Amino acid sequence: MKIIKPAIFALLGIIAIIFLVVGSMQENFPAPPGFTVVEYWEKWNNPEAAQMGVIVDDFNKTVGREKKIFVHFLSVSDIDQKTLISISAGVPPDIAGTWDTQIAQYAALGAVQQLDDLAAAHGITEDYYLPVFWRGCSYNGHLYALVSTPGTVALLYNKQIYQQCGDALRAAGLDPDRAPRTLEEFDRYTEILNTRDADGLIQRAGYVPLQSWYIPQLSFWFGGRIFDPATGRLSLDSPETLHAYQWVQSYAKRLGPRALMDFKNGLGNFDSPENPFLSGKIAMDQQGPWMANYIAHLKPEFSEVKVPIDRQWELKDRRTNVVWGVAPFPSAVPGLTNVSYNSFDALMIPSGARHPKEAFEFMAFVNRQDEAEKLDALHCKNCQLRHVSKSFIENHPNPYISVFQDLAASPNAQCTPVCPIWPEVYQTLLDTAQAVSLEPIDPAVALRAAQTRMQGECDRFERLLEERRRLGLD
Amino acid sequence: MAFISPWIIGFAVFTAIPIGLSFYYSFCDYSLTRPSRGPLWIGLDNYNQMIHDPVFWKSLGNTLYYAAMALPAGMLVSLGLALMLNANIRGQTIYRTIIFLPSLVPTIASAMIWLWMFNPTEGMFNFLLAKVHIPAPDWLGERLAMPSLAMMSVWSVGNTVVIYLAGLQDVPRELLEAAEIDGAGPIRRLFAVTLPVLTPVIFFNLIMAIIGTFSILTIPYIMTLGGPNKSTYFYTMFNYDEAFKYLHMGYAATLAWVQLALTLALTGIAFLSARKWVHYG
Repeated sequence: MKIIKPAIFALLGIIAIIFLVVGSMQENFPAPPGFTVVEYWEKWNNPEAAQMGVIVDDFNKTVGREKKIFVHFLSVSDIDQKTLISISAGVPPDIAGTWDTQIAQYAALGAVQQLDDLAAAHGITEDYYLPVFWRGCSYNGHLYALVSTPGTVALLYNKQIYQQCGDALRAAGLDPDRAPRTLEEFDRYTEILNTRDADGLIQRAGYVPLQSWYIPQLSFWFGGRIFDPATGRLSLDSPETLHAYQWVQSYAKRLGPRALMDFKNGLGNFDSPENPFLSGKIAMDQQGPWMANYIAHLKPEFSEVKVPIDRQWELKDRRTNVVWGVAPFPSAVPGLTNVSYNSFDALMIPSGARHPKEAFEFMAFVNRQDEAEKLDALHCKNCQLRHVSKSFIENHPNPYISVFQDLAASPNAQCTPVCPIWPEVYQTLLDTAQAVSLEPIDPAVALRAAQTRMQGECDRFERLLEERRRLGLD
Repeated sequence: MAFISPWIIGFAVFTAIPIGLSFYYSFCDYSLTRPSRGPLWIGLDNYNQMIHDPVFWKSLGNTLYYAAMALPAGMLVSLGLALMLNANIRGQTIYRTIIFLPSLVPTIASAMIWLWMFNPTEGMFNFLLAKVHIPAPDWLGERLAMPSLAMMSVWSVGNTVVIYLAGLQDVPRELLEAAEIDGAGPIRRLFAVTLPVLTPVIFFNLIMAIIGTFSILTIPYIMTLGGPNKSTYFYTMFNYDEAFKYLHMGYAATLAWVQLALTLALTGIAFLSARKWVHYG
């Protein structure tokens, strides 16, 4: 008996050692000998990760083989935190696939490398990109990121609900066969599309500002700007932003704050058939082109009015096959047309990355027109490049992709404010929208408080950065 | 020494040194992205920033509000359940298992279940209330979100109940019998014998509950993200956001030290009061 216990422990120890030895011998990716391995971390899970995997394979088989570079692609959760920790530990990946909202913050903190020279050497210049995306990739006049996939925001509307309310819309002098063109018209559509039950509970809402992902950027549609990089000044309490927040509050007042929150809290998850737009709970939303993919997977009947979804049709016919439509989200300012917010997924080279040149080879490859169009179509997004092929527009899974492409190319296209404390500003604007919707607060007072607090944060950030520079700690 | 050195090294590297460094960083501007360039000493700037930060006061107020509800509720319910489960009744083991079971459910899973139960239109609570014609509240709305979270915290008191049950086994039988012979009823026996003997266990659970309520993070992060309108934005969420979302490591270290100081102060008060109501031996 005495020998059994030590024998079991010894056996377990031997097994553990075997696992360790065999595990460490095992290559978990087939990097050819003599190749430089570029570590690429990306935030996406399946299916987006698999689609990016196609581009990585394309690179490894062509340019990579030719230049002896092998990209090792890894899907990483909580990528922002893990990237920062890896930078801190001195072992960052060569490429980090994060979000546009972090570019200015990371650039200001010295977490990512400037890409001006590498981009110029590859012919990737301002002229190659749509201006809005070039602006979004830059901080203090330097390039810090490239786009992997962009997402332009437009108005998504349910044509079926429009038709159901056709008589009421016509009676109000509105057209059920098209989307609203001004914000005033948009509000009137919304009012008619709202429905309530006998107890006054909202059954369907034409539109719910609080439900939108883009509340913090709403000022753009009111002619406002949020941050001026030249002066470092935020303008959260500008007349335009105030107008935007008064508009948000007007919806809460009309629907009733309690009814609004009951309705909002009862809505299903975005990535499920209970998605508020797909379940018909809201008739209009602000969304990107990717919604076509979600509809195809979660509610294909929305895109099969006449024929199966995969039938090859002319673009104009494909638009008649869907019960949803896309149009520019209307602006509050007369004459200000085609306003859009343009977010994107960003590729950056962290500070301390071992193979920046090789990493940029891959980033440039992702931004080659054929590969960019391929990835953007797979992800069901518009394209970041100034010139796109006819086939990209005609064969894109979203039949309205030209609307998104035109919006991104518009002079009124806006990107994430290039503000080094944008994540805080974003959260503050979101909180303020909730506050003015749920409480009888004057939006002017709420925005003034937000402005004071965030400008203080911004000034403090700049002051400390300056102090670091002065002491040579930057 | 050689035997204990792995623990000492582990404690020093992973606990003692980081604690010391975090205290130093609380007086610095420190970024994860530039550790090699060193932290920038800014004296009491972070503490000054904290005092003037409305979000600090909001999150602290929320945490104290939650503690004021969850702490006594948890203590009373767990003690009550332990007393009931200590009674010699049929199926005692089954009841004990049922009470303990929620403690085994992963936090994320239980948060998702409660989210559905609190759903204002499809949730179980409002469905049942509607059956008896009671107006359905918005459980996770601005006014009720915090009480709802406190109510939810009571659901997983199984661990505390087990500790109370263990304590109840130590209540001397002869004392209870003597009290009974002297004519004391069940209520009198509870207050005159059982609870005084149990006070060290109650005190232990109180200290653990103070620490637990002041470090709550996962449940509100999953269920409400601190909303609506920051009504469930807890101190630890504020600390986490400052560190990992806004990358203010120095400020986050300040917040962490203030949290420690507050927890220490409250436990200190509990220890001071313990002289009056906790009976050892």
